[in-house]
Amino acid sequence: MTKRRLDEVDRRILDHLVRDARTSNRRIAEVLGVTEGTVRARIRRMEDEGQIRITAVTNIRKLANPALAFIRVEVERGSHSRAVAEALARDPQIGFVGIMVGGFDILAITMVQSAEQLSAFLHANVHAIPGVRHVECSLGARFVKHDYRISRIVACGTTPERQNA
Amino acid sequence: MGGASRREARLGQMAGLDDTDRRLIELLRGDGRMAFRALADALGLTESAVRARVRQLESSGAMKVVAVADAEAVGYELLLVVGVEVDGRPALEVAEALARIEEVFSVSLVVGTHDIELLMVARDHEHLAELVTDRLVNIPGVRRILTGLAVDVLKNQPDWVPFDD
Repeated sequence: MTKRRLDEVDRRILDHLVRDARTSNRRIAEVLGVTEGTVRARIRRMEDEGQIRITAVTNIRKLANPALAFIRVEVERGSHSRAVAEALARDPQIGFVGIMVGGFDILAITMVQSAEQLSAFLHANVHAIPGVRHVECSLGARFVKHDYRISRIVACGTTPERQNA
Repeated sequence: MGGASRREARLGQMAGLDDTDRRLIELLRGDGRMAFRALADALGLTESAVRARVRQLESSGAMKVVAVADAEAVGYELLLVVGVEVDGRPALEVAEALARIEEVFSVSLVVGTHDIELLMVARDHEHLAELVTDRLVNIPGVRRILTGLAVDVLKNQPDWVPFDD
């Protein structure tokens, strides 16, 4: 369950990737004084073990009225949080699903572009899941900070493109 | 596959992207370090044409290829979502003060159950206690917080994030 921590070489490679994720292996190898093969193998290991993910992100500010919806779900007594969480995780429109402790059972985060879209989404995609008892929602009005450099990387069947690649 | 096509629909809402740009973004979502030559082969373009497109997508602020580090691999064992109720101070000021805490990686002004939603990480329980009881609740304007601790994250794939051009 617990992931391997990055060692010194991993961290120095990661420092380069954080600045420019498409820097060539050769360039990183030159700066760090290791072989290109070492850089390639380290990056592959970090990706395979889920310690880093190198990916394209698109700018939410380029969409009309983007807003994150924070959806807190309470599950029926006797229902399994995990089954509800798995159903939510299968929904391609939901970007984050966590089983929580502290006042509610599951947190899901999705992106919507209007209150109307959120209302329809909650009705069809959240309330409809068996075991969902109560849903509370906060709708984002303004992003103040989002540091994409850190995340909880989860390996599961939610990245079909990657599995096909 | 449904996930990819739905994201395509959102990519379609970004002005100035053609089909080739969208396919390029999807390839880079799958593997952010795919070589220019492999991208060129997949898209039926020359390598220099692909380089120019990637540069254009990045400089226009539409897309970025990023390295995301797993919170646990860099030493953060705990992930929390905190709903904040604000009183006696503009919510934006409170949100900006919260955003200055390094461990807080996402801050949104919201409407709904709370005024601010934030996501944060902590190294361990001691660090968590220090962050919440010494820092968060002492920020002027923070009236009440609802803290949820993630015991299991099933999915975390934020493809759309805010960043400044």
